[in-house]
Amino acid sequence: MTYKVQIDDEVRDATRAEAAAIEAAHVAAEAQARAEADKAAAAASGRAKLAALGLTTDEINALLGA
Amino acid sequence: MGANAQTSVPVFASGEVLTAVNQNLSAGTGVPVFATTVTRDAAFGGAGEKVLAEGQLAYIEATNVVQFYDGATWATLGPATAGALVFISATTIGTTVSSVSVSSCFSSTYENYLVTLAGADSSASGTRLRIALGASATGTGYYSVANTLASGGADQINRTNNGTYIEGGYWSTSDSTSLTMTVYSPNVARHTTVTGQSVSTDGNGTETVFATFGGGVEDVTQYTGFTLSPATGTLTGGTIRVYGFANS
Repeated sequence: MTYKVQIDDEVRDATRAEAAAIEAAHVAAEAQARAEADKAAAAASGRAKLAALGLTTDEINALLGA
Repeated sequence: MGANAQTSVPVFASGEVLTAVNQNLSAGTGVPVFATTVTRDAAFGGAGEKVLAEGQLAYIEATNVVQFYDGATWATLGPATAGALVFISATTIGTTVSSVSVSSCFSSTYENYLVTLAGADSSASGTRLRIALGASATGTGYYSVANTLASGGADQINRTNNGTYIEGGYWSTSDSTSLTMTVYSPNVARHTTVTGQSVSTDGNGTETVFATFGGGVEDVTQYTGFTLSPATGTLTGGTIRVYGFANS
């Protein structure tokens, strides 16, 4: 894939090294986003399980410090 | 009193012979030059001198200013006094670029800078806004935290701890990203720090995300520019403006 970078008013194709860095950054960002989504899903799942045990929302928040 | 300074603004009578001295005095300077406002005032209205009238120009050596007479008083035309905030550059972001660098905007002239961004969009929904010093989108030794508050309630804190960039909130897609940040000491041989705020909308334009952020880079590089980039996707449009804060 061709990437473009801009320096001031000049837009040019990324060099091979720049393209590799952009792709690496994108891969890392996507992995980070997945990890954050998994963490949020785990938190929601945990809350649901606590609620299923009969805890109120206030009790869950107190437990979790939310 | 300099070589151009004069003590009189002469008028010439009909039939009078103009000497080289006469010509050199007025034609040589264009705008009459006076040592002070006192000699300026004394140069008009006397015998053989022009009567002061509206539109008259004068240069005052003592204060290095150009003045004009408005019919009642003298007013200074220039040079204009520089403000506390001085415009340095404007960069319009191109189409589908992976990063945008603003170079040669930091120098020893100012210690601190204001950066504004308005009207920028990202191709990727909900992608983070990254800031780095220098011409590369990433570096080393960055520490930052961005507290993001979402109108939809999904608040988040993003951090870099000895990372490769400064967290600056999020880019928007369907609407526009706006950002303002202060950059402290980028061209001084000490740690450069940044504080700022950004606001954006998410991918479908229904949620506003407001971020306050701060960070820095732990090196003593004297930076001359900075780079903005998205975590994923590309950027299109918007203008980045840089201003210098007057040191005194």
